Amino acid sequence: MAADVTAVAGYRQPPRKLSDPVKRALGYGALIVASALIMLPFVWMIISSLKTNNQVFTIPVQWIPDPVVWRNYLDIWTAADMSTWLQNTLVLSVTVTFLQVLTGSFAAYGFSKVVFPGRDVLFLAYVGTMAVPWQAYMIPQFIIMSNIGLNNTLWAIIALQAFGAFAVFLMRQYFVSIPDSLCEAARIDGMSEYGIWWRIMMPLSVPAIASLTLLTFVNTWNDYLGPLIYLRSPELRTIQLGLQTFIGQYDAEHALIMTGSVLSIIPVAVIFLLGQRFFVEGIATTGVKG
Amino acid sequence: MATTSVDQIHGGPGPSVPVPPRPLRRSRGRLALRNTLVGWSFILPNFLGFGLLTLIPVVTLFYLSFTSWNVFGTAQWVGLENFQRLIGDGSYHTALFNTLYYGVFHIPLTLAASLGLALLLNRKLRGVAFFRTVAFLPYITSIVAIAAVWNMLFSPEFGPINQFLTAVGVSNPPGWTTSADWSMPAIIIVSVWRDMGYYMLLFLAGLQTVPGELYEAARVDGAGAWSRFRNVTLPCLRPTTFFVTVLLTIGSFKIFDLILVMTGGGPGQSTLVLSQYIYNKGFVENQFGYSSAVAVSLFVICLSVTVFQFVWNKRRDA
Amino acid sequence: MKRMIPAFGLSAALALTLAACGGDATNETPSTDGGDTTAEEMTDEPVTLTLAGWSLNTTPEFQVLADSFSEAYPNVTVEVAEYGDGDDYDTQMIADLAAGVAPDIYVQKNLKNFFTYADGQQLLDISDVVSGLDPATGGVDFYQMDGTSYAVPYRQDSWLLYYNKDLFAEAGIDEPDGTWTWDDYVETSKALSDELDVKGSYQHSWQSVVQGFALAQSDGAALDSGDYSYLAPFYERSLDLQDAKAQESFGTVTTNSLSYQAQFGTQEAAMLPMGTWYVATLIAQQENGEAEDFEWGMAPIPQVDSSTTGTDATPVTFGDPTGLGINPAIDEDKVAAAKAFLAFAAGEGGADALAGIGITPALLSDTVVDTYFSLDGVPTDELSAFAFSTHDTRPENPVAETTAVVQNILGDAHSAIMSESDSVDDALAEASDRAANEAGIG
Repeated sequence: MAADVTAVAGYRQPPRKLSDPVKRALGYGALIVASALIMLPFVWMIISSLKTNNQVFTIPVQWIPDPVVWRNYLDIWTAADMSTWLQNTLVLSVTVTFLQVLTGSFAAYGFSKVVFPGRDVLFLAYVGTMAVPWQAYMIPQFIIMSNIGLNNTLWAIIALQAFGAFAVFLMRQYFVSIPDSLCEAARIDGMSEYGIWWRIMMPLSVPAIASLTLLTFVNTWNDYLGPLIYLRSPELRTIQLGLQTFIGQYDAEHALIMTGSVLSIIPVAVIFLLGQRFFVEGIATTGVKG
Repeated sequence: MATTSVDQIHGGPGPSVPVPPRPLRRSRGRLALRNTLVGWSFILPNFLGFGLLTLIPVVTLFYLSFTSWNVFGTAQWVGLENFQRLIGDGSYHTALFNTLYYGVFHIPLTLAASLGLALLLNRKLRGVAFFRTVAFLPYITSIVAIAAVWNMLFSPEFGPINQFLTAVGVSNPPGWTTSADWSMPAIIIVSVWRDMGYYMLLFLAGLQTVPGELYEAARVDGAGAWSRFRNVTLPCLRPTTFFVTVLLTIGSFKIFDLILVMTGGGPGQSTLVLSQYIYNKGFVENQFGYSSAVAVSLFVICLSVTVFQFVWNKRRDA
Repeated sequence: MKRMIPAFGLSAALALTLAACGGDATNETPSTDGGDTTAEEMTDEPVTLTLAGWSLNTTPEFQVLADSFSEAYPNVTVEVAEYGDGDDYDTQMIADLAAGVAPDIYVQKNLKNFFTYADGQQLLDISDVVSGLDPATGGVDFYQMDGTSYAVPYRQDSWLLYYNKDLFAEAGIDEPDGTWTWDDYVETSKALSDELDVKGSYQHSWQSVVQGFALAQSDGAALDSGDYSYLAPFYERSLDLQDAKAQESFGTVTTNSLSYQAQFGTQEAAMLPMGTWYVATLIAQQENGEAEDFEWGMAPIPQVDSSTTGTDATPVTFGDPTGLGINPAIDEDKVAAAKAFLAFAAGEGGADALAGIGITPALLSDTVVDTYFSLDGVPTDELSAFAFSTHDTRPENPVAETTAVVQNILGDAHSAIMSESDSVDDALAEASDRAANEAGIG
C-alpha cells in the first residue's frame, strides 16, 4: 500500500532498506502465482488447440497433448474462412471504437459541462436503457434495422454498437472529475465550448479514452449475439460467429474452436499490452483544486 | 424518422418559449436557450443512433409488456394481465431470488477485487504492463473455454478443487455446479474472477485523476497509508466508484451468458436468472408479451437501485 | 416543456415500429389463400428458390437436396441461405420471419418449435403435397394441426443401441440379440463394467436420453397430462447405473463436458443409446483416426417389456423428424416450384440422395435402405439392418401449444434428478405443479 501511494506521488522510496527487497520479492511471487491461476483457462485453451477433437474432454484431464496436433493451426486457415472473419472483426472493432469514443465523449461534454433543463432526465434515460437486457428488445430493434435496410450488412453492427450509452456514461463520469474551473477559465479566455472539449477535456482524459477504447474494442471483438442476430451471409461473419460454425447439431470440433479462440485473443492481447501504457501519471490538475 | 425528431428538438423550443416578464429573466432565459442548444449539439450525434436503435425499441418493449404478442401477429392489448401473472409465477420468483442472490455477492466482491487490483497495479513496477494484461485476460478469453475449464476444476469426482479439499480433510466436499446448493456460489466465484480485470481498468483510469499533491500534503500531515487511502484516494475516486457500482449493479442483474454456458440454469432451477427467463419465455416459448413484462420488472428493480445510488451520490457531492 | 419534446418525437417513431411489428401478418394473409396451387402446375420458367439451412460445412444435406432437385428440375435454382446451429437457428429465423426477410423454404429443426411457426401462421398449407407422398414416409402426421399439414419430413432419425463387439467379446458376454428389455440392458452394463476396466454404457446428459424413451414406451404417457410419474422407473434405472459406476455420473459428464463420440469412439464405454445420425460420424471418425478401430453394431433400443422385443416384433423408439415448410411470404409464382421441392425432398429422389451421404431419410424404402447399407463402414450384420430399418418411432416433442413449456420444466427436473439434488418423486411432483401453474395443465 505504502509503496503504491509513493509511486503515484512520484516520491522516492522510503529508507526501509532491509525489508524492501524481501517485500518486493514476495510481491512479485504473489503476482506470479496469481497470474498463473488467472491464466489457467488460457493455458488450457492453448493445450486443447494442440489436441485431436476426441482428446479435448477426457477424464482425468490430459494436460500434455499426445500426439501434439500442430495441424489445427494450418487447418483453421484452409478448412475455415479465418482470414475473412478476422478482417470483418477488425473492420467492425476499429470503426465502432472510433465512433463510440468520438460521439460518446462529445455527448459526455454536453451532459457534464453544459447546464440545461432536462439534461439529467435525458441522462437517466441513457443509463436506464442499460438496465434492459438486450434480448428483450432485440426483435423491435431488428424490425427497425430491417426497415432502414441495414440488416445483413456490417453497418448494422456499427449502428448497434457505436452509439451505446456506456461510452457516454463512462466519459461523463470522467469529465465530472475534471474541475469546472478549468472550463470557466477557458471560457473567459474566449474559447468556444467545442474548443474546450477538444483542447482541454480530451487531452486531460487520455486514461479514460484509453480504457473506453480498450473496452469497446474488446466488446465488439468478442460480441456474439449482435452479429448472430444481424448477420447472415457467410462473407460477413465475425470471428465469434465463425467459431460457432465448428459446432454441429450433434457434435462440435472442440480442438478447432480452441485454436480459433487462441488466434482471436492474440490481437486483443497485443492491443491491450500497447494500449495500457496510456495509464500514466496523474493528470495536470495541479493547483486548480486548491 | 430520425430527422423529424431532430427538427422538433431544435425548432420546437424557439417559438414556444414564453415571453419573460422582466429584462433580467429575459437574459437568463436567453442563456438557458443558448445552453440548451449547445448542450443538444453535443448530445445529438450520439442521440441519433441511440434514440432510433435503443430508446425506441425499449419504449416499444414497455408497450409490449401490456400485450399478448407471439412475435408474428399483431400485439393484443391485455392491460395489466402480464404483471398480475408475475405475482403468481413460481419460476419468476425463483429467477428473481437467484438474480438478487447473485447480485448481493457479485457486486461487493467484484468491487473490492477490482479496486484492490487497480491499486496494486497502479505503480511503476517492472512488468506492470504484463500483469495488467494478465488481470484483463479472463475478460477476453472465450466464454466457452472459461466454462469448460472452470467446470473441470469444479468437477466433483475428478476436479482439482475437490481433490485439494479432500486432501486438507474436508470429508464431504461440495458438488459445485452439479449441486443445487453450491451451483450459485460456483457461478459467483467464476464471474468475480472474470469481471475483476474489466473494472480494474476503469479504476485505473480513475486513479489517474488523483492529484499527486494531495498525497504529498497528507504525508506532510503525517497521515498513514490507510488514512491516505480513506481521505485522499477514495474521495477522489468517487465519480469512478459511482460509475463502477452502477455498471456492476446493472451487469449483475443482467447476468446471462456465463450462467448459460456453465450450468444452463441448473441443476433444477438453482441458477435460473431473470435474463435467461426472459429469453426462455420469448424465444423458446414464444410469449413475447409476458417476456417483455419480466424485462420491465427487471428494469424497474435495476433502475430503482441505480436512482438510489444516483441520489446518494449527489447528496455526498453536495 | 422542453423535456416533452424528445419524447414526442420518439412517439411518432414508436408508432411506426409498432405498425411494423403488426404489419407482417396482414401482408401475408393473401398469399396463404393462394396456397392451393399444386406441384403439377409448375411451368418451365426459370425460378430461383431460397432455402434455409444451418452449418453448411458440417451439414451437407441442404446442398445435396438443392443440387439433386435442380438435376431433376433444371429450370429451378435452389440457393441455400446459411443460418446458425442449435437454438441460434430458431432465434435467427424468428427474427427474420418477424421482419419479413426470411427465405422461401425453411427447415423445421425439431417438433418443439414447429408449433410456434404453424400457430403464428408462418407456414403455408401444404396438405396437397402430403397427399401425394408415399404412405411409408415416417413422421408425416406429426406436422398436422387440425387436419392441415404445414411441413413435410425429409429426415427421420431414431434412437437405437450402439455396441462395441470387441469389448463384448473381451468380456465374454453375449451381444444384444434384439430381445432386450431395459432390465437386461442395466444388468449387462453392470456385468461389462465388472469384467472390463471401462464403463458398461454411456448415457449422454440430454434429457431425451431418459425422457424420450419413457414417453415413447410407457402406456398412457403424455406431455400434456400433467402426470409425469411414468418417468420414475426410467430414472430409477439411470440412477442405478450411475450408482453402480457402470455409467459415468451425470456430474462428471456435465462438468468434464464429455462427448459421446469420444466415450464410445475411444472405447471408454461398451454401449451407447444414440440417434441414427451417429452412424455417419462414427464411420468418418474411424476413418480419420479420431475414433479407434473396433467392430461395432446396432441393436434395437431396449424395451419396457417383452411384448415389443424380438426380431418378429417392431421395437418402439423415439426421434423427431426434420421437416421442410414454405414461408407464406413467398412470391405467388414460386409456390408451385417450392411445393415441387418439398415433394422431391420427402420422396424417393430426396431419400436416395440423403441415404447416399449417410443420412437417415424419412422414407425408408428397400432401395433407400440398400443405398445406405452399401456405404463403406456401415455394419452389415442382420441385427444392425433390422435395427436401422424396423422401428415404431414416436415423436420426442408431440406438437401442442404446451410442449415447449413442459419440455423446459422436465429439463429442470432432469438435471435435478440426475445430479441427485432432488429425489425422483419430489422432482416429478414439482414438475407437475409447475406444469399446472405455467402451462395450465392437469
